[in-house]
Amino acid sequence: MSEIIKKQIERYETLLREMWAASAKYLGMHSANLLMERVVWEVSLEYQEIELLQYDQNGISCARIAASLEKNPDLPVEDMFMKFITRYVAILAKLLGHERTEEIKKRLKKEFTKLPLTSREE
Amino acid sequence: MDKLITGIKNLDYILGGGIPAYSLNIISGSPGSGKTIFVQNIIFNSARNGLKSLYLTTISESQFKMVRHLQGFEFFSDDLLGDKVIYGDLGAVLRKQGTNKGLEYLTQMIKKHLPNIIVIDSVKVIRDLFPDEKTFRIFIFDLAAALSIWEVTAFLVGEYEEQELTRLSEFAVADGIFHLYGQEEKRFQKRYIRILKMRGTSFEQGEHLFQITPMGIEVYPRMKPEGNELQYEVTPGRKGFGIPGLDEMLCGGLPEGSITLISGGTGTGKTLLALKFLLEGAEKGEKGIFLSFEEPAAQLQSTARHLGWEIDKYLAQGRLDIKFISPVELDVDKHAFEILDMLREKKVKRLAIDSISSFESSVSDIQKYKDYLWAIAQQLKRRHISAVFTTLNEDPFSSLILSKAKISLITDNIIILRYVEDDSNIKRVLGILKVRGSYHDKALREYEITQNGINVLGKLDKANMLR
Repeated sequence: MSEIIKKQIERYETLLREMWAASAKYLGMHSANLLMERVVWEVSLEYQEIELLQYDQNGISCARIAASLEKNPDLPVEDMFMKFITRYVAILAKLLGHERTEEIKKRLKKEFTKLPLTSREE
Repeated sequence: MDKLITGIKNLDYILGGGIPAYSLNIISGSPGSGKTIFVQNIIFNSARNGLKSLYLTTISESQFKMVRHLQGFEFFSDDLLGDKVIYGDLGAVLRKQGTNKGLEYLTQMIKKHLPNIIVIDSVKVIRDLFPDEKTFRIFIFDLAAALSIWEVTAFLVGEYEEQELTRLSEFAVADGIFHLYGQEEKRFQKRYIRILKMRGTSFEQGEHLFQITPMGIEVYPRMKPEGNELQYEVTPGRKGFGIPGLDEMLCGGLPEGSITLISGGTGTGKTLLALKFLLEGAEKGEKGIFLSFEEPAAQLQSTARHLGWEIDKYLAQGRLDIKFISPVELDVDKHAFEILDMLREKKVKRLAIDSISSFESSVSDIQKYKDYLWAIAQQLKRRHISAVFTTLNEDPFSSLILSKAKISLITDNIIILRYVEDDSNIKRVLGILKVRGSYHDKALREYEITQNGINVLGKLDKANMLR
């Protein structure tokens, strides 16, 4: 795995942890994990590798995804994570209201220039 | 906050626009209270707005029977079944595979159908499948968490009695609680709904009447006096009866926008006086509504014609409207709300209610009756509608019994009609007890009802006629 991809995965892992921690503040740890479960399922319909994402009360780890990339370096990992994050934030915004998710969005906008936020009804 | 519009008549008004989206709501009530129809009405209305519902039954009511019973309602549509309204059997999973498989099945169904609304009917039955309160509590907390994450608005239907609502664990996790119940009240079997809790929105508290009609559920919001102080502009105009002697006694007529009580014994002409008040308004181009709880429209028309009044002309022109509600059918919870709706809709300048005694006799709770009248009075004053209420004085020879509920407190003006004995004759006399903020003739005057209408005659000068 190239150094660039390794850095990329680390960057996503950090973002996911921040996002999870920020949402757990409002939803509680149990519900934040349920939300992870939902989004993993949704994204897995397109990218099955997202099921390798590990999350529990101790936090989030992308180690198994990184290991999978060793075998399948062509996986469009950026698109997969982008879809995961946008879905997560969009659902969160619907559940909590857009004001509560502004901080998370601001943080994400620093990392991604194009961040389409949509949810099921939109 | 996003809201789920129920589409049930007046329910969204009570809820301040609808049920908060993604909330978990419990619909409670004893068997036969209308819970299933209530929630089915919501999901079929939502289906027409493009929302998908997953209805999970248990053993309380089979899907087959439920669908068969629903077919009689206008909101039901075969076309929506399977596409926007999907039925599933949660009870079978819980019984055959164990209670720990319930959430798994639910999640599978959500992933498969991606519903906007989930109904579990009945959650009380599920409760009984759990060995103890602790395991059920864990299930219900997990259920609430799972449902919220999937962006669904949930309805848990259950046969709960009112005393259970404060102590069972499912009510702690609920965002909204709707309690449905019925009670015998005078002539009617009444159905009521109370919203006991609704997080995230303000709502109209108290018991609201509802009916199950072929159209579905119809709610009639509780009538209550507004909490804020009544502020209204006092206008200087006068509204006459078109009866010269009486208008003279009133210095031109009743103050505009005021409420007048006409109290009198049977046959004294209360109805005619009220009708004449509206006809005079119609003559001047003012729209009037006569709410009759005693005489049908045809009878009123016939009487008016005999007195030479042009009632047919004004009815045809739409300046006068007569609404007759049979006293047998009078249901104040429903009709008081409809009266206010009618006043809001039509640009009414004059209103007559004949009689509020009928109103009073159809209400079992006198406080409720006072609240209704006070609420109607507030609306009338706010809209500057000049109104006359008639009331029956059960002792025609007694002058000052107005009504049991001290209704005179909400009226600005009081006119009394009574009988007096004069030698071997019975005569009618009329007096004005009060006109708020205005001078009026304090004399008792004789009056007669003839083919030419109502004529106010001279002052009653024989005190011995009064007993």
